[in-house]
Amino acid sequence: MRRLPIIVAVIAVIAFVALSSLFTVNEKQQALVLQFGEIKRTICGGNTGTERDYELAESCDVDGPGLYFKIPLIQEVAYYEDRILPLETDPLEVTPRDNRRLEVDAFARWRITDPVAFRQRAQSVQNADDRLQSILNAALRQVLGTVTSENVLSPERSVLMTRIRDIARRQAASLGVEVIDVRIRRADLPKENRDATFRRMIAERQREAADERARGNERALEVRATADRQAVEQVSDAQRQAEIIRGEADAERNKIFAEAFGRDEEFFAFYRSLRAYERSLRGSNSTLVISPDSEFFNYLKSDTAIPSQ
Amino acid sequence: GGGNPHGPYLDDLLRTGRDLLRVVLGGTGGPPGSGGGGGGRPGAGFDKWLPVVIPLLLVVVWVYQSLYRVDTREESVELFFGKYYATGTEGLNFAPWPVVTYEKYPVIIENTIDIGKGSGIDQGLMLTGDENIVDIDFQVVWNVKRLDQFLFNIDRHRDTIRAVSESAMREVIARSDLATILTVNRESISQEVELLVQTTLDSYNSGINIVRLNFDKADPPQEVREAFLDVQAAEQDRDTAEKQAEAEANQKLAAARGEVARMLQEAEGYRAQVVNEAKGEAARFVAVYDEYALAPEVTRKRLYLETLERVMSDVDKIIIDENTSGGGQGVVPYLPLNELRRGGNN
Repeated sequence: MRRLPIIVAVIAVIAFVALSSLFTVNEKQQALVLQFGEIKRTICGGNTGTERDYELAESCDVDGPGLYFKIPLIQEVAYYEDRILPLETDPLEVTPRDNRRLEVDAFARWRITDPVAFRQRAQSVQNADDRLQSILNAALRQVLGTVTSENVLSPERSVLMTRIRDIARRQAASLGVEVIDVRIRRADLPKENRDATFRRMIAERQREAADERARGNERALEVRATADRQAVEQVSDAQRQAEIIRGEADAERNKIFAEAFGRDEEFFAFYRSLRAYERSLRGSNSTLVISPDSEFFNYLKSDTAIPSQ
Repeated sequence: GGGNPHGPYLDDLLRTGRDLLRVVLGGTGGPPGSGGGGGGRPGAGFDKWLPVVIPLLLVVVWVYQSLYRVDTREESVELFFGKYYATGTEGLNFAPWPVVTYEKYPVIIENTIDIGKGSGIDQGLMLTGDENIVDIDFQVVWNVKRLDQFLFNIDRHRDTIRAVSESAMREVIARSDLATILTVNRESISQEVELLVQTTLDSYNSGINIVRLNFDKADPPQEVREAFLDVQAAEQDRDTAEKQAEAEANQKLAAARGEVARMLQEAEGYRAQVVNEAKGEAARFVAVYDEYALAPEVTRKRLYLETLERVMSDVDKIIIDENTSGGGQGVVPYLPLNELRRGGNN
């Protein structure tokens, strides 16, 4: 029983030593084992769940997360980010070859691939961020300055992004960092040009609208004129036919009369004249001054007839 | 107390602890502070239990800490000394601490990112291939397809997805014309963008799955909207003008057709009338003639007298006999034609 505290103390010391000589590096981390500031061991990370698709940096001793040993008290561990980190640039004005300025911003994805170099050149993620920003800006200016603004607004855009990435990648390698990709996010006109573009768009639409309306009117006129012409044609044709009909009717009439009256022309003359007299001599518009010599008055003065011839 | 300077103190500590345990476990306890020589004896059996109970307790606590639940919408990843070795699924999982650590995440839940709805730079104005500007609002909906890749390969997922999506959309818009964007099926554009985003994210081994990509808006910018609407209005106007003209034309032609019909009908009417009248007159004459033919002299006389009777009875008559005795000493006719005419008009 007396030895219990000693045992406990010994156990505690052993535990302490054991614990401080073990350390884990998890999937999100890379690590450097430092002895009095000197790098003794480099534990690099890698993509999880896939085959490693790049060469391990030369300085990497071992790769992969797991449990490792170090000398307690003398050695310490510095951790670094293993995951892909994002980087966004501020909007940048570039002037392509045709001098049509564009406002561009880009973003990049990068990883620490060489913790040793990173520690020496960049020290911290913040610092690396700043350095990479200027590398990116320079690469953007360089590549976009050699093409026309049309190339940026075309399927060639992805080719340009690859070129920018390659340039940035070369320059960032010395920081122990791999630039995985660079993508152009925005490539727009600067604010001043934007208004000019709007005006142009409005003008184009106005022209289109006027065009539509004019076409409408033109067509309307055409339709109306055609209708007018057709109407006139139809009516005049009808006129012609009507006249023909009337002519035929008159001819028919004459034929009927000729046929009927032709039986006895003299009698017709007589009969028709009588009818004519009856119709035309009316009380309202006629005054006859006659002598009683007319055959009508044959028996007026005597009862024997004056022979009529 | 042996040679250990801390001996008595440690002894006291152990004793108090033992006493306390005894009290807690309900064993018979000596009066507090009565330790000393007699302290150990009543609890002799209890001391035997202690080495068993305490470790057991520790094991229970440890098991409790090492078990964890994963519910339906989640998955977990287990790390063996920091190295990924398994994915945990729904239900109870065992991760012996501290050898195995775990992380959980709701992988099935769909997350939505809106792009283009902000103001200022973020308002979603994009440059098209023919240097026009279009206002795009869209949504990216994503969840996780590989949790291990998701947690361990990328930091700041939301920012990454947002940046990749916006870049992809702008890229696709930049190689299209404004007219195509506004009129063509948006489905094909959103599919193109979705494919580009998914491909890019896969190239980072991000483990992210794009569920879908929706357009909320693909319109001309606010500043030019009126002009665009006017084009539509103009198309309507053109349509209206054409339709109106057609309507008027139809009306006109209908009227003409009516006129044509009327004219032909009138002519036919005239024909009927004229022919019928002629037929009537002819028939009348023929009838009279047939009568006449039977007794010409008599009929002739009769007709003449009947007609003149009707005539004479109706007109104003002045009968002047020039054959009176005396020769030319009769009445000299003086006819004021003016009076006649006036009288005739009465």
